[in-house]
Amino acid sequence: MKKIAALFLDETDRADWEATMSEVAELVCLTVDGNLASTLDALLQSGTDSEPGVIVISAKLYPAVYPELVVRLRALCPGAEFLVISRDGCAPPLRPLLADRIRHLTISSTAEQPGDERLPEVLNRLARRRPWDTTSCLKAGTTVHSFELSCSDDKERVIAKLERVLEGQGEEMELLRQKASLLADELLENAMYGAPRADRGTPMFTKGAKREMLPQEIIVFSFGFDGEVLALDLTDNWGSLEPDQVLEYLALNADGFQNADECGGRGLFIIWRFLDQFHVSVQPGRRTAVGGRLHLASTLDPTAPRGFHIIKEEIAA
Amino acid sequence: MITIPTSNDNSAACDFFALEGTIDAHSEALLMAIPARVKHPVVRFDFTNAGRINSMGVALLLRCFKEIRSKAEIRLEGLSQMHAMLFKMTGVFLLATPVERKKEAAA
Repeated sequence: MKKIAALFLDETDRADWEATMSEVAELVCLTVDGNLASTLDALLQSGTDSEPGVIVISAKLYPAVYPELVVRLRALCPGAEFLVISRDGCAPPLRPLLADRIRHLTISSTAEQPGDERLPEVLNRLARRRPWDTTSCLKAGTTVHSFELSCSDDKERVIAKLERVLEGQGEEMELLRQKASLLADELLENAMYGAPRADRGTPMFTKGAKREMLPQEIIVFSFGFDGEVLALDLTDNWGSLEPDQVLEYLALNADGFQNADECGGRGLFIIWRFLDQFHVSVQPGRRTAVGGRLHLASTLDPTAPRGFHIIKEEIAA
Repeated sequence: MITIPTSNDNSAACDFFALEGTIDAHSEALLMAIPARVKHPVVRFDFTNAGRINSMGVALLLRCFKEIRSKAEIRLEGLSQMHAMLFKMTGVFLLATPVERKKEAAA
């Protein structure tokens, strides 16, 4: 596993994350303390054998205090994956992250809450370059239900099946069912109407129109519920969603609502906000997987920003 | 989705529309016809029997409300927790105000 470096604003910032990151192996922690140049030198010296595979950046440091930080780090460590970490309530704006092509953001509470991401797991996955999937979000042994769609009418059938799997009494279960059916709706609509693109990138189908899947088209919706966590995943074989486009859509919708009804990517924005954790994995021209997990007892406010993990998978030659 | 228009309630002249079922791309014709039917300075939309509202449904509601807002105040009633979260995060509440439903007057 490649080494992980973490950069903090100062000792207070570092201490805030210490317990959260105590289980992370191969971790080098650095505090800037007002001297970025010497911190970057120390980062280089710490990696005499190899550059860090993952660089964790505290949101107290970037983008507000050192907006140029990622550009400078990329020049030093061109192969590194970058993860910005933020405490709940002080999430960074998305525009600078989009400009710097940051594709991983984790927002967590000081005291772990249901729905929070576990940072050691995230770092382990990033260091090993392993994308998330339904199974990875659930307790071992949980049944994963998968459906390959043959026509647009399958959407309501699949959503009904999902609601049956989430049967149960109580307000929490009712809310989970409602969130799940909306998430499934958005995921399926994106795959059926957003993903299929003609040669010039124009959508091939109109939203809401009845359609059959094309002979070579594969759209698979998977989900599982382990009693606490619901994991959802939608995979299509178009691979038409660009990683930067995902963050562009999130930023566009998060920026404000002056032109709210003209916003593109509102479906992705809704998926991002209603999930506790949002994962996108793209093999351009081959495959897009969008999904994540949602905890039954999630206390995360859907109207507040979320973390994300957007991965562009390398295609073996 | 169906809408039931009435021309007034007990307290003031208003238009009233009750939305039912899923609100999505299939709701376009109904929602786009509503602005032309608004005749009063206040419009009430009842979501008590509305179900899932997806991003296309939100887009259509925004378009509908934008057109109405130039001539009437929009009030939203019977919102579920899901509807309220969705409307807050997508800017619907910038065009329309959520209100508590008035208790039915005793007969």
